[in-house]
Amino acid sequence: MQQAMLWFFALAALAGGLLMLLLRHPMRVALALISTMISLAAIYAILGVHVIAVFQVLIYVGAVMVFMVYAIMLLDVRDASFTRRYSGYLLPGLAGLVVLAFAFAWGLRRDTVSPAVAVGSVFDVQPFSAAFLNDYWLYFELTSVLLLAAVVAAIAILKARRRGNG
Amino acid sequence: MTQLLTLIVILPLVGFLLNGLLGNRLGKGFVSIVGCGLPILAFLVAVMAVRTLLAAEGPLVETAFRWALVGDFPFEVSFYLDRLSAVMVLIVTGVGSLIHVYSTGYMHDDSSYARYFAYLNLFLFFMLLLVLGRSLLVLFVGWEGVGLASYLLIGFWFSDAEKAAAGKKAFITNRIGDAGFLLGMFVIYSTLGTLEMDQVNAAFAGPVMPAVSASLIGILLFIGATGKSAQIPLHVWLPDAMAGPTPVSALIHAATMVTAGVYLVARLSGVYLHAPEASEVVAVIGVLTAFFAATIAVVQTDIKKVLAYSTISQLGFMFLALGVGAYGVAVFHVYTHAFFKACLFLGAGSVIHAMGGEQDVRKMGGLARKIPVTFGTFAVATAAIAGLPPLAGFFSKDEILWYAFASESGGATWLWALASFTALLTAFYMFRLLWLTFFGKPRMDEHTAAHVHESPLSMTGILVVLAVLSAVGGFFSIPHFLEHQMPLPAVGEHLHHLETPLIVASVVIALAGLAGAAWFYGGDASRAARMGERFSGLHRLLSGKYYVDELYEAVIGRPLTWVSDRIFLRIGDRAIIDGTLHGLTGIARQAAGLLGRVQTGNLHLYAWLVLAGTFALLLWSWRYV
Amino acid sequence: MDNTQLLLALSTALFAIGLAGVVIRRNLLVMLMCMELMLNGVVLSLVTLSHQAASTTGAVLVFLVFVVAAAEIGIAVPIVLLLARRRHTLDADAFTDLKG
Repeated sequence: MQQAMLWFFALAALAGGLLMLLLRHPMRVALALISTMISLAAIYAILGVHVIAVFQVLIYVGAVMVFMVYAIMLLDVRDASFTRRYSGYLLPGLAGLVVLAFAFAWGLRRDTVSPAVAVGSVFDVQPFSAAFLNDYWLYFELTSVLLLAAVVAAIAILKARRRGNG
Repeated sequence: MTQLLTLIVILPLVGFLLNGLLGNRLGKGFVSIVGCGLPILAFLVAVMAVRTLLAAEGPLVETAFRWALVGDFPFEVSFYLDRLSAVMVLIVTGVGSLIHVYSTGYMHDDSSYARYFAYLNLFLFFMLLLVLGRSLLVLFVGWEGVGLASYLLIGFWFSDAEKAAAGKKAFITNRIGDAGFLLGMFVIYSTLGTLEMDQVNAAFAGPVMPAVSASLIGILLFIGATGKSAQIPLHVWLPDAMAGPTPVSALIHAATMVTAGVYLVARLSGVYLHAPEASEVVAVIGVLTAFFAATIAVVQTDIKKVLAYSTISQLGFMFLALGVGAYGVAVFHVYTHAFFKACLFLGAGSVIHAMGGEQDVRKMGGLARKIPVTFGTFAVATAAIAGLPPLAGFFSKDEILWYAFASESGGATWLWALASFTALLTAFYMFRLLWLTFFGKPRMDEHTAAHVHESPLSMTGILVVLAVLSAVGGFFSIPHFLEHQMPLPAVGEHLHHLETPLIVASVVIALAGLAGAAWFYGGDASRAARMGERFSGLHRLLSGKYYVDELYEAVIGRPLTWVSDRIFLRIGDRAIIDGTLHGLTGIARQAAGLLGRVQTGNLHLYAWLVLAGTFALLLWSWRYV
Repeated sequence: MDNTQLLLALSTALFAIGLAGVVIRRNLLVMLMCMELMLNGVVLSLVTLSHQAASTTGAVLVFLVFVVAAAEIGIAVPIVLLLARRRHTLDADAFTDLKG
């Protein structure tokens, strides 16, 4: 059962990714990406890493993609990139994709795979937060600094925009 | 005091530094006091040192400091005072001080007063290094240094391009001679292991000869001497050097620097005693130079140029003496020549000063009554150089002629004959100069005639002192003073009886020269003019100085310029070096241009390059994992 | 093919597709979204391998990657907005000012 679901969501994610390359309207591309992300969240849940699954939905889908959707809605999408959705590098890009895919496949094949380990409760919320705030508190602080920097940068862009249009 | 010799050398150096750095700020009085006082002080210390030497047993040696240590061999800066150096140091500091004092009068109105005295003191410092140095290395430092000072002083008025070029010519010609000098030093050091001159002499004095040809050393060092002492073929710089101020001509190009070559050969007499081939070369070049210079001097019209060629000629006499083994006699002539030549040059300076800058004797005449002191001293010095007894020149020149004839180490009749004829010419052209300048009707314009005046006491006083020295200096016999160190050459037994007749002959020659000059140039000098027209070809040759300068220019100068321009400049510098560099930068620029085509500004290209890079990384990682 | 291999294959596929998307698509926002897809692919491989190793460190790292991705998007989208305001187009070919 779990295997089947895993396969299902894996294929769903792959389909979403491929659709992103094919769809014309950016909004539809965003929806394809959202579906891919949700499939990935499902995969994480199947694996038992519930914390990450929840965060995937909350942060990635709930914040990042919503923001992207806002941006898409804000802008007029019927421009040159709508009529011709592919760049001049279509053929080299596709060739590169195939080559890269084969390279990855070959790489995956030749590396031995170690046996899976029983999960236990390593990925529950408590052990996760304990590890997060005890062993990795420094990185926690650093990421908050990073977010602060992002906020400042956003305000700076805002001010520049004001000055540019004012 | 144990460091007397070092003190003698250092005093003028202090003068150079003081006048050079502070002279312009502290005024002419300060410059004069420092510039003259320090050489006078050096002279007094030299007198003290000589007295110490005469009281002591052997030469005085002082080591100042060790310059370098190469392996086990030290190169030390040490000073050496024996009788030869004593004579030289007294001449250098004594006559040098007199000329410094004269300069305070002559250069009084010049704007670069401080610079002049600074350079003059610098010259004195290097000259003292030269005569007091114990090793050839120290001597060479002094040698080059006086060359530098000479360059600076010849080109003293450097804003005039001709004068600057004269300075350059002097320096470059000297350098050519120095190549020979350096080779000589290398030979000496590599075979004898020392550059200390007393040790070099000792090496040749022992029972076992060193395994090197003394003649080779002798000739190489003599090449250096020809450069410094203006012998054929490197004599061409001395007449041009008259572009400098007249006291400079007196000090450097008459009394001291040009005698450095003579000093070098005399100092290394121990080597030359065992080098008959080299000595012969020295004697022959000496007498030929003396003769050729004297013939040119006969037709010169610039008062300083006559004296310049006269100097070259007298130096030839000194080398003749050296070549026949009479080292002490050559030094004697250096000593007397310093007095009368300095007196002549300074007298010429006084004449030029009186004439308001005119140097052409054709525009002079009748000055005897107007500038009597200058005339009197000039006349005494002229008589001295002509060899009239009992003036100084008679004694020294006569001994040279005697040994040229009779010495067993190279004396020959033809040397004596040519030298005697040159002595005749010497008397002739010097008295010609005297007549044209001081006698007869004045040939100058009204304006100059009105301004003719005697020079100030600072100048005339010195002239008197030098004239007195020219008169009585010959009575102190330098050859006997130096005899223990430099024995006089042996004279064939069968020739002794000819000594007195030869003395008489030389006096007759001097008087004949005087008479000839008076006859040709007395009155209105018309007889001389007619002679000039009769022998116009010869006159042209002599006036053109045998066209030696033109020959050098054609044979050496122009080909060298051609090679420098065509080969070194155009091919070597521009095509090869610049071409290579420009080629390299061209390659860099083209490569950059080529690589720059990647930046099209197209984001998709950049992303595709990331893809390709990722693929490459993947491949690369498989090599190592 | 067991789970790990499957998920790793999926992860590399998503990465490759995302990279190709950046090369192929013209619209700036779509290009951004393809970059997000690449990030997701990498996160998937991270989760897979940390799950395999039963290591909390992997989970923590994933969380940090989320934070960074959020910050990145928070800056990237406004930049795109500004660019779009200026040129009135979202076409990547319009922005070739860095040529040469």
